[in-house]
Amino acid sequence: MELLNVHNLNVNFQLKQGDLAALIDISFSLKKGERIAFVGESGAGKSILGFSIVNLISKPGYIKSGSIKLHDNELSHLSNRQMRHIRGKRIAMIFQDPMMTLNPVLTIGEQMVEAILSHTDLRKKEAKNLAIEKLVQVHIASPENRFDQYPHELSGGMRQRVIIAIALLLTPDIIIADEPTTALDVTIQAEILELLKQICDDNNVALILISHDLGVVSRVAERTIVMYAGRIVEQGPTLEIINDPQHPYTQGLLNALPQMSLPGQRLNQISGSMPSLLDRPSGCAFHERCPYAMDKCKQGLPEFLFNGVSHVACFMVEDMLEDLNNDADSTYFDNELDEDLDTSLEIQPQTRGSK
Amino acid sequence: MKHIPLLQISHLEKRFSVKEKWMSQWSLNRGRSYKKQDTVYALNKVTLTLNKGETLCVVGETGCGKSTLARAVMGLTKPDSGEIYYGDQRIDNLNDRQRLIFRRRMQMVFQNPYASLNPRMTVYQTLSEPIAFHNPQLSRIEVDQKITTLMESVGISPNWVDRYPHEFSGGQRQRISIARALSVEPDLIIADEPLAALDVSVQAQVLNLMMDKQEEYNLTYLFITHDLAVVEHFSNRVAVMYLGTVCELSDTKTLFNNPKHPYTQALLSAIPRLDNNSQKPIKLIGEVPTPYEAIIGCPFQARCPFAQEKCFIEAPKMIQQPDGSSVSCHAVEEQRL
Repeated sequence: MELLNVHNLNVNFQLKQGDLAALIDISFSLKKGERIAFVGESGAGKSILGFSIVNLISKPGYIKSGSIKLHDNELSHLSNRQMRHIRGKRIAMIFQDPMMTLNPVLTIGEQMVEAILSHTDLRKKEAKNLAIEKLVQVHIASPENRFDQYPHELSGGMRQRVIIAIALLLTPDIIIADEPTTALDVTIQAEILELLKQICDDNNVALILISHDLGVVSRVAERTIVMYAGRIVEQGPTLEIINDPQHPYTQGLLNALPQMSLPGQRLNQISGSMPSLLDRPSGCAFHERCPYAMDKCKQGLPEFLFNGVSHVACFMVEDMLEDLNNDADSTYFDNELDEDLDTSLEIQPQTRGSK
Repeated sequence: MKHIPLLQISHLEKRFSVKEKWMSQWSLNRGRSYKKQDTVYALNKVTLTLNKGETLCVVGETGCGKSTLARAVMGLTKPDSGEIYYGDQRIDNLNDRQRLIFRRRMQMVFQNPYASLNPRMTVYQTLSEPIAFHNPQLSRIEVDQKITTLMESVGISPNWVDRYPHEFSGGQRQRISIARALSVEPDLIIADEPLAALDVSVQAQVLNLMMDKQEEYNLTYLFITHDLAVVEHFSNRVAVMYLGTVCELSDTKTLFNNPKHPYTQALLSAIPRLDNNSQKPIKLIGEVPTPYEAIIGCPFQARCPFAQEKCFIEAPKMIQQPDGSSVSCHAVEEQRL
């Protein structure tokens, strides 16, 4: 059964310049205990998506249409008071900057106990024990002492651990982690990612990871959703997306990584930059930067197509699938088609892999 | 390629005093007051040589002193001891007037393109100021021409000269910063995390631009970063820093194929790679401490899985290895690893 179901979500921002669409027709679902990731550059709308799931979109933004269902309960129409029972308890959120997330004038313990008391009937002492238990779970040394310390006394990695502990307090169904390791060093980042993964496994918590770093995503997520200019362009299993990206944007994103080209050679850059919400190109928003852009890309919007492993919205892939189907009509053997699908779907054969 | 040293840094030390007012030097902890430590040891005897036309990357985690190193070379902070030579001239003890000629030869690109461009100056003003200052003989028209070619060369339309920084995207701003650094035709560019604030696809654009310019003007880069993927791609040699000391210095290829220092090994294993099946990251104990006291012994002692008695007593020396890299580690020296 699906835990979270987002269907045709549209989020707009009401500005002086007009009603700007930040998210367009976002649909995805999340199973219990599953780890998915949203990837894209800044301005793709990944953070807005995270915020709209917990209804934290502040004015001038608003949810225009669509539904967000958690256990078949609609979230998008809930009032703030009703939403408060869901936030923290059913869906917890981890933000990018650990210093901004923790309240600097309250001790770690006060912040943790406060969260427990507002959602449960536990006594203060029980709440404290629970909090310390969670601090142990995120591998914080001497949790009793840390409990009474202020956020500024902890290092960045430790703060992020505390935040993960707070997110875990009420054993939520979903944790949304918005760039949880961007502000951290590489070695600490590796530790925090390991921890997040392990904790989600142990407690059967689903994770929505929002990141711009495909390396991070490949370490944690089972499924990856690539976003561009407020739309989902490709979604599928992480390994498939990394080894065999279908959408030109995903290909560009992967090829732009330094490890994808030989040392000392030029990197494969994507020309241009992400369009702003103010002047979104017509048709497929990527067509201005796309090396394979056709005339119809400028006019129509590509539909989502399922090619057997992942869902892609691109005319290029659509044409290819059609060609394959036409070919298939003329051949007798179905099993040959399967092999065809695997090999010829690769738009641009490239040598990938680690060096 | 012949190695002609362009910049030599030897035994550079920098301590920062964090002295505050007398009252705020004291802090309370559980009812007891104690005096805060007042010196941070940012750089400890750093010795590096930068050859002409090469790219030397300095990598390390937050607080290891890599930015302090860059600022000391540029003369933005004064080192406490040690020497910096540009060519054969000592530059660390110059005053501002004497330094002018060297300012022209080395330029800096900063991390945050949102903060390093003056928001009240148009692109024209930003670029024309250094050009006119260092080339007083140029006429206005010549300066204008120079700006036009400069902007074209970094991929920004010269029609935009009268725009302000806020009208540009992050990648474009970083291009303008690079154009500003190139405007005085330097030999050496010190780039302090120039890609950290940019998106992946824009990172690739800026990195390509930097490589093109290097080829075009035979630039030397001192590139400071924490992103090891960029290092692997971009640099000729790598210096790994930890707590104000260089712990490993070697060719990029050698470093990535055969890291020797335990810290380098941990750092490399922590890079998030695309292939999921890579080895698990080596776990280090704790985090980078703030060096409030002069370290006795190896700076990495507290987190090193191979630390022995000797590491707490004696500081390891940089020792050249058979494959050309230099490592400062007792364990490597004694071949315990």
